[in-house]
Amino acid sequence: MPVNTKIASKAKEKLSAPFSAEEGKKLYYYLLKTRTVDEANRKFFRQGKLLGTYFSAVGQEATTVVPTFLSRPTDAIGPSHREIGCSITRGIPLKNMLAHLMAKRTGMDKGKCHPCHYGGSEYRIITPASTMAAQTVVVTGCALAFKIRGEDNIGLGFFGEGATAQAGWHEAMNFAGVQKLPIVYICQNNLWAESVPARLQAAITDYSDRAKAYGFPGITIDGNDVVQVYVTVKEAIARARCGEGPTMVECKTYRWYGHSEIDPADYRPKDELEGWKKKDPIPRFEKYLMDQVMLTPADKTKMVADIEKELEEAFEFADKSPLPAPEEALEDVYAPGTFEDWVKGWLK
Amino acid sequence: MRTVTFIEAITEAMKEEMERDERVYVIGEDIGIYGGVFKATRGLQSLFGPMRVIDSPLSENLIVGSSVGAAAMGLRPVPEIQFSDFITPGMDQIIQQAAKLRYRSGGSFSVPLVIRVCCGGEVGGGLYHSQINEAWFVHCPGLVVIAPAFPYDAKGLLKAAIRDENPCIYFEHKKLYRSIKQEIPDTDFTVPLGKAEIKRKGKDVTIVAYMLMVHKSLEAAEKLAKEGIECEVIDMRTLLPIDKETILESVKKTGRAIIVQEAPKTGGVAGELSAIITEEAFEYLDAPIKRVTAPDTPPIPFSPPMEHFWLPNADKIIKAVKETMAY
Repeated sequence: MPVNTKIASKAKEKLSAPFSAEEGKKLYYYLLKTRTVDEANRKFFRQGKLLGTYFSAVGQEATTVVPTFLSRPTDAIGPSHREIGCSITRGIPLKNMLAHLMAKRTGMDKGKCHPCHYGGSEYRIITPASTMAAQTVVVTGCALAFKIRGEDNIGLGFFGEGATAQAGWHEAMNFAGVQKLPIVYICQNNLWAESVPARLQAAITDYSDRAKAYGFPGITIDGNDVVQVYVTVKEAIARARCGEGPTMVECKTYRWYGHSEIDPADYRPKDELEGWKKKDPIPRFEKYLMDQVMLTPADKTKMVADIEKELEEAFEFADKSPLPAPEEALEDVYAPGTFEDWVKGWLK
Repeated sequence: MRTVTFIEAITEAMKEEMERDERVYVIGEDIGIYGGVFKATRGLQSLFGPMRVIDSPLSENLIVGSSVGAAAMGLRPVPEIQFSDFITPGMDQIIQQAAKLRYRSGGSFSVPLVIRVCCGGEVGGGLYHSQINEAWFVHCPGLVVIAPAFPYDAKGLLKAAIRDENPCIYFEHKKLYRSIKQEIPDTDFTVPLGKAEIKRKGKDVTIVAYMLMVHKSLEAAEKLAKEGIECEVIDMRTLLPIDKETILESVKKTGRAIIVQEAPKTGGVAGELSAIITEEAFEYLDAPIKRVTAPDTPPIPFSPPMEHFWLPNADKIIKAVKETMAY
């Protein structure tokens, strides 16, 4: 794979699919589930059921669901705050995700972190911090651990184009290049870092150009074309797994809503959103699968019913879950059995 | 038993832990081929290879952040920050990641790493090679902050830290590296984290100190003993969590407390220890608590007269003890 290959944005409908019907169907299920849950969460937020705020990823699902779908459960994921697709595809139960958004004790973080910061060691998803690109550095360390141990696991690092301006991001990419670490970096270029347009963040158009400076391939693709993301990331993962080093995949995509639900995103031109809605990755992929006779309307009907049932049960579980007791704020500071008296000494 | 320097104790601790546990690795600037600018990692790369003794680029954020990721995957990294002055680019990873990952994941992740940090003055290092900034980390719950003064403690605490499940930051005072020697056992030993130790018994006044200042305090105590003043010198060894009991028990006995800190006065460890004594042993005090610290200027001015003026020393401690005794 040459450095800075630019793959033209053309869906490959005419070619035979790069996956089996069963695989295609499963991938569609995760995309649909991510979209359905994400839209439902926005509704729950408006109903006052969620606390704090909510970061929707609607519109950019392909960039998180597809790489996670292609990974193994033992591969490490370093997400940011808009990676609901990673968590759903890796299998964090919806009920715990909902509880997390409601700051309940049954959330993965037991009510301690911040909305949409999904993670947990059993899923090998690094629970994110809110400082941008921080997890890019951490997941690079996961890849280093795999290399030191001689394991064939890889790291998947997710970040927006805005995060590539961070110093730590550069340090991670540079080190990954030097050590040829087993990692794939997924840049979700959704054109806006909260309210700041890409033109004020970098003097380049394609962020994958940055990879050249680190000595590994950077590729820019249509992040709303599920098949293209699949083919590109699959090759990048294979490269990482067999010791050929990192790849940066820049996915051009778009978030439909504001940075969070309290942001009306009125800094964006209206026609820009409408243009991107026409490139919605999910109907595009649905059409592709139906053209390939890999998915039937009946399959879709069943999937929708299954997802809605699971969501309903998850909501009920989360809604009925207790909030943490106040003193639970004093737990999980240090490892079990260490310095508990010190932390609880504050009560005296 | 055999006699080792402070830095030899540190090297031995890393070497023995790397032999004992293959999950342990070290990473930092100039630590591999060169063996470290102070030679703390001398010989380790030839023993353990370049993937367990990793020469990193000039990237403190990466040195710490990659260690957090590797620790989360079950390894036990021992990253080195060459000078505490250079720790600032790594602060985000220390404060937001290492210290908080367990908490923010509801206890799901462990981050067992030990960040070794070379610090301290009295070596003519100037404004960017002498800083002592332990208080930044003491204000960061989730971290264990370690600050030894003797080779035995340096080795035992480093081994304990490497075996601990918590993120530890381990300060090494560069003045101590080759100026302090001590007999240590040949057998494996550790020193418990979070426990201070009385290094000299006394009944008149308690002096609390750590790192180089323990030695300044012992020097002062020796001189004061000749004048009939018996100082009890406590070496904190761990700065977070704080061993309140050892300090309070001593102060309740002596009724007087001096706290010595090499760093600037305001917002430091000495102020915190002073507050603890005031809150929990006020009625035992016969005199106000005194702090012997550096002034509130950026640490540490380069020119020798200014550095000497700036740093706490035995004479300044003696003066404080006498004032306290005369109160």
